Amino acid sequence: MPLIELESASFSYEGQDRPALDRVSLAIGEGEYVALVGPNGSGKSSLLRLMAGLRRPSSGSVRVAGLDASAAANARALRSVLGLVFQSPADQIVSTVAEEDVAFGPENLGLPRAEIGRRVDAALAAVGLEAERRRSPRFLSPGQQQRLAIAGALAMEGRFIGFDEATAMLDPAGRASILAAMDGLSARGVGLLHVTHDLEEAARADRVLALDRGRLAFDGSPAELLRAAPGLGLSLPPSAAIARACGLEPEPGEGAASLAGRIRRSMKSRNASSSAAPAAGAAPRRLGPEPAFRVEEASFSYLAGGADGRPALDGATLSLPRGASVALVGRTGSGKSSLLQLLDALAFPSAGRVLSLGVDTLSREADLRALRTRAPLSIQRPESALFEFYAGDDVAYGPRNLGLAGKELAARVRAAMDSVGLPYEEFRDRPSRSLSGGEARRLALAGVLALEPEALLLDEPTSSLDPAAREAVLALVETQRSSGRTLAFATHSMEEAASADLVAVLAAGRVAACAPPRELFYEAYDEAWGLARPYACELALALGGRVLEARPLNAAEVAAALRAGGGRA
Amino acid sequence: MRSLEFSRNLSIGQYLAGDSPVHRQRPATKYLGLACLAAPALAAGPAGLALALALALALGKAAGLRPGFLLRGLVPALPFFALTAILQFLFGWPGDGSPRLLSLGPVALTAFELRLVLVAMGRCFALVAAIGLFTSVSTEVEMAHGLEDVLAPAARLGFPAHRLALAATTAFRFVPLVAGELEAVVKAQASRGGDFGTGRGGPIAKARAYLPLFAPVTIRALERAEALAEAMEARCYTGEGRTRYARYPRPRGEAAVRAALLLSCAAAFAAGSLLRI
Repeated sequence: MPLIELESASFSYEGQDRPALDRVSLAIGEGEYVALVGPNGSGKSSLLRLMAGLRRPSSGSVRVAGLDASAAANARALRSVLGLVFQSPADQIVSTVAEEDVAFGPENLGLPRAEIGRRVDAALAAVGLEAERRRSPRFLSPGQQQRLAIAGALAMEGRFIGFDEATAMLDPAGRASILAAMDGLSARGVGLLHVTHDLEEAARADRVLALDRGRLAFDGSPAELLRAAPGLGLSLPPSAAIARACGLEPEPGEGAASLAGRIRRSMKSRNASSSAAPAAGAAPRRLGPEPAFRVEEASFSYLAGGADGRPALDGATLSLPRGASVALVGRTGSGKSSLLQLLDALAFPSAGRVLSLGVDTLSREADLRALRTRAPLSIQRPESALFEFYAGDDVAYGPRNLGLAGKELAARVRAAMDSVGLPYEEFRDRPSRSLSGGEARRLALAGVLALEPEALLLDEPTSSLDPAAREAVLALVETQRSSGRTLAFATHSMEEAASADLVAVLAAGRVAACAPPRELFYEAYDEAWGLARPYACELALALGGRVLEARPLNAAEVAAALRAGGGRA
Repeated sequence: MRSLEFSRNLSIGQYLAGDSPVHRQRPATKYLGLACLAAPALAAGPAGLALALALALALGKAAGLRPGFLLRGLVPALPFFALTAILQFLFGWPGDGSPRLLSLGPVALTAFELRLVLVAMGRCFALVAAIGLFTSVSTEVEMAHGLEDVLAPAARLGFPAHRLALAATTAFRFVPLVAGELEAVVKAQASRGGDFGTGRGGPIAKARAYLPLFAPVTIRALERAEALAEAMEARCYTGEGRTRYARYPRPRGEAAVRAALLLSCAAAFAAGSLLRI
């Protein structure tokens, strides 16, 4: 008998005409490792919540371990079988002491103290957090916080854990630690359902489900998914995109070494071709000599004066040329957001100084309001700061603050909305809250662009977006870059960082390196940064030879380098 | 206020881990301490509230907390103190025969008025220090368990002590979260020319500048509350039939500590009414 069984289950949110889930039928067996993919709004979270009995199907049935998941009386039994780990680490931690947070579930079950203690010990050991048991979760890294949430679900001693985009907010190292923990659970026979946008992550599962507008659109192996992905509105992960660009069939979750082997074999069998394509990689753009931003030995700490005032920046030095696009990368907590805030004069250095567009932010004469609008910062998840009821009004907030009115104001708003792909005529009178996640993000960016700033500062502009929305935002960033605006953005994606003119690596509050991506990822790269290289770079290192000489950073460059090499890697 | 960091000026809802004798007290004792410091801060005479403030700062020192850390919650309130002082200066009290300390044309600051201002400020200082001390040495879980313990007698009569305790701790937990959200939204709007932290404009302009903050901050706070509620529900929370994992060993000399706290409270009230300042 399957552990989880849905029969023609539908679910609608109140006030929405289209159902979030539309007659979904599926069965998941004991101990299965399943990934669930699909664009935002396709019903992934709703499906997980139906299984956990947090939502009730409007029609059809959901059974877990033989229990009707829609019956309130079964809630406790059901949730003891099926645990959940959510997206935001901070929003699922109940307690301020790690081990007491793990104990929260067993306490709710009314277990005796000794039994709770046994479970807490086992759960913390399973996720490798024994040493942190007395610490406050606030001081754990986001990756550790997510592992703590896993321990909380494990302590229920259930048979199945659902992960609702549990890796989306983590840096590469945090992500890797969660994926490893999931492999460990799977090996112990715990069933997993991993909701994700990342097909590379999904490929680790034995089976993948894909939802499309509430319908189950795909149910098969990861290899089959890679073949079906384009038709499902899913974007290929870097490894698959590169394999395809090289004319090979993508394989799920393939490492760079294995793909390099396949490329070598295919090149041998293929006739050395004649195409003499130019060497990979566009020439680096010429950048103005004068910096738009200069950070000199700047330090900054949160909660200064408190006993736990840890420095977010500790003597960081960086110079950003005018007209350049700069990617800020580094582990969570390495100071990326703080640095962006210093550049925008939203925070001030406790030591050192920051010159922003030629203005010393600490100077008494600095007109902070003017400075902030000349180089505005779009915070993380900027869409949550939208406040006007109508989309057009929200975009107008900035230019209105600059003193614009009437036709001039309308023209600004129109230009900004059109440039982010939200046509003014169509969207200006739409309620801001009715926009999809990706649209709301672009609206928030339009609100910043409407200032016609000299520079743009973006804090993780693509975080938590699905691949389609991500592409739209990246295209928008690219437009800004080519228009010559100075651009600094923080990101956890090395693929995105590789598209910038410069990549600055932050580690422990200092700028560990700042160089063009080719130089940075091929020459200056240091494992100690706790980052990863772009897949194309890993592949070139595995291939060596001509491809490595070309130092490619993306699929197109790898393919071009292979062609230029006349078929020899 | 140049800086836009709200959490920096937040002295409540921020537990600082430590292993001092103050930290080691059981939650119920910490509540007793809070009551014994807050009561004179609110109601005792000037000498009593000075005593309460001194005791709060001394206990803070014993817990490894600097006075500046305990009192930093007052920073945003400083302009209001200045405003009260100005109002006292502008308007006289009927029958105020105390000596004039400062006069400017028809208006004057008398000793009586100065005393009123100082006492009001002292009460705020003492209260903020007491609350700051309590929340810096108690985890949210301790606060919940302590409240449950304090209310245990009432619970036997059917009072929903556990639910109240949980509501209280969740509220405490949300103070820094909401401050963080507020900070993020202020920064987003300031980036778009919103007038925060630039020190311009009068009070009405300032109040209007803050309007674009309320809706997003409220929505963000509600979203986070909903996420937390869902996470709790997913872990079988119903509020009933819970057991407790945390244990609070009785520290040595607990009875003496509790007695000393009660005595200090009584002493503060006595000093307040006997010593006229």
